[in-house]
Amino acid sequence: MPFEIGIMTFGEVTTDPRTGSTPSPRQRVRETVEQARVADQVGLDVFGVGEHHRTDFVGSAPTVLLAAAAEHTENIRLTSSVTVLSSDDPVRVWEQFATIDQLSGGRAEIIAGRGSYSESFPLFGYDLGDYAELFREKLDLLLAIREQNPLTWQGRLRPSLVDADIAPRAFGDTIPVWVGVGGSPASAVSTGRLGLPMAMALLLGPITFHERTLALYREAAASAGHDADALPVSINTHGYVGATSQGARDLMYPSFVQGMAENNHQRGAGFPLSRPSFDALSAPGAGLLVGSPQEVVDKLLAYHELYGLDRAIVHMGFGGMAQKDHLEAIERLGTEVAPVVRREVAAAERSAA
Amino acid sequence: MTTTSATTTSAGATAVPRPTTAGGASSADTAPTPDPGSARLRVVVVNGSPSRPSKTMGLTSVVLDTLAEMLPTEASQVDVYRLGHGFTDATSRDEVTPDVESALHRAEEADLLVAAAPVFRGSYPGMFKHFFDLVDQYALANKAVLLVATGGSDRHALVLEHAMRPLFAFFQAMTVPVAFYASSGDFDGTLLLNPRVYGRVQMGLQDVAGLLRSRATG
Repeated sequence: MPFEIGIMTFGEVTTDPRTGSTPSPRQRVRETVEQARVADQVGLDVFGVGEHHRTDFVGSAPTVLLAAAAEHTENIRLTSSVTVLSSDDPVRVWEQFATIDQLSGGRAEIIAGRGSYSESFPLFGYDLGDYAELFREKLDLLLAIREQNPLTWQGRLRPSLVDADIAPRAFGDTIPVWVGVGGSPASAVSTGRLGLPMAMALLLGPITFHERTLALYREAAASAGHDADALPVSINTHGYVGATSQGARDLMYPSFVQGMAENNHQRGAGFPLSRPSFDALSAPGAGLLVGSPQEVVDKLLAYHELYGLDRAIVHMGFGGMAQKDHLEAIERLGTEVAPVVRREVAAAERSAA
Repeated sequence: MTTTSATTTSAGATAVPRPTTAGGASSADTAPTPDPGSARLRVVVVNGSPSRPSKTMGLTSVVLDTLAEMLPTEASQVDVYRLGHGFTDATSRDEVTPDVESALHRAEEADLLVAAAPVFRGSYPGMFKHFFDLVDQYALANKAVLLVATGGSDRHALVLEHAMRPLFAFFQAMTVPVAFYASSGDFDGTLLLNPRVYGRVQMGLQDVAGLLRSRATG
């Protein structure tokens, strides 16, 4: 597949640390749809919305936002990033994404995940003690729904289905189902065994963070009989494309440090990410996709060389960022970064072939 | 010496689940290589996890299955968290109830003691220690002991060497030099998935299989 570049958002409803103003949920949902529209216009390949059940996000129902985005876009693929499948009903998940697929003419995708937040479990009556089994069983059902209709299926944690008619079906042949993986060896192995595309989240750390994840995934896929090298993999990481290297960091840092403090806890409370540590995490050997267009091009190519990636999804605006700054970065990613990366990757693959 | 059945079900003791071993009988019936008539290694697992099922027993069952492919074994298990008040109320050996006495005796008489524990608050759980506080001071002298532990991250791996091994050094037990550790991320639920850990168990047990075979009396 050609190298794909996209963006994702959690629909953050966070105070902009520069202006002190907090967007209303109404403003944020409109801005989210606008981000999708701009991303589509500048030729990006993927738009993702993450699922979070909290007041500081408007992403509790990502499929609704993706459906709205479908109406304002032409070509971009529309994905969850991620769907917390463990605490959802796979039948309902399928129905919603298949509807988006029909609305958008076959552009819907699902990234299924366990979720790094636990709010949805008590909300929908699930026991966190069943964390692993819930995901395993629900992914099994989702894949079964994708494969056949009507469906007869039996599990342990959800009522059985007997000759169930689950509609609509996909617009085209199928709806891609990726699995979001944070880096635990077991997730990489179970995803590889199923032969599903893997979306690797790289929050903070060295660019090499997922080398073991990918090795375990490919080994598991190969030993289960899948064509391991043909399975798509993506990296999902935070970033910001600025006009200049320093400008990008100066713009991203205040938001990002706030977002991390509100979502990444130690001793039950957020902690500040210092500017030196942020700068280190933005260095060429580290994971954040922040910098000038050329810097982001270089890092995406480094990612591609390291992992043989098929796709990169950049999470921009985490922690609250003015829409204008956010849209400018989307535009730079689409017009100055993506064409160069696609061209270089294609050239590298031709010379390797 | 009396033979302890692998399916003993006195309080706190259960047969070790052996999902990958064909048939329901002891592994000696199905093990591929052992000499006919050779003695079985009587393995007793002291399980320090309160959870059922648990990652600790998930890793331990991989260890037991791998060992059973190398030599004839016969395994049983003591779940310290299931021993009840006859165990938790006892502050000395003479206060334990008969079922607990039997579990302690079984551990003391094993050919191989597998000490398996999760990391709690930086070490093995207090309940696990309480079991060994009731074990006779010299009962484990020169006893083959294999250490197994699980924890929330790789940062806890040295619990094997810095917490568990010194406990058995007190008993003058012969802890074998290999020990096995796995992190939460290596498991899907309680099923061990990381092939690196499987490989480590295989390699480690090969190192000590000869020694363990020489300890078999069953």
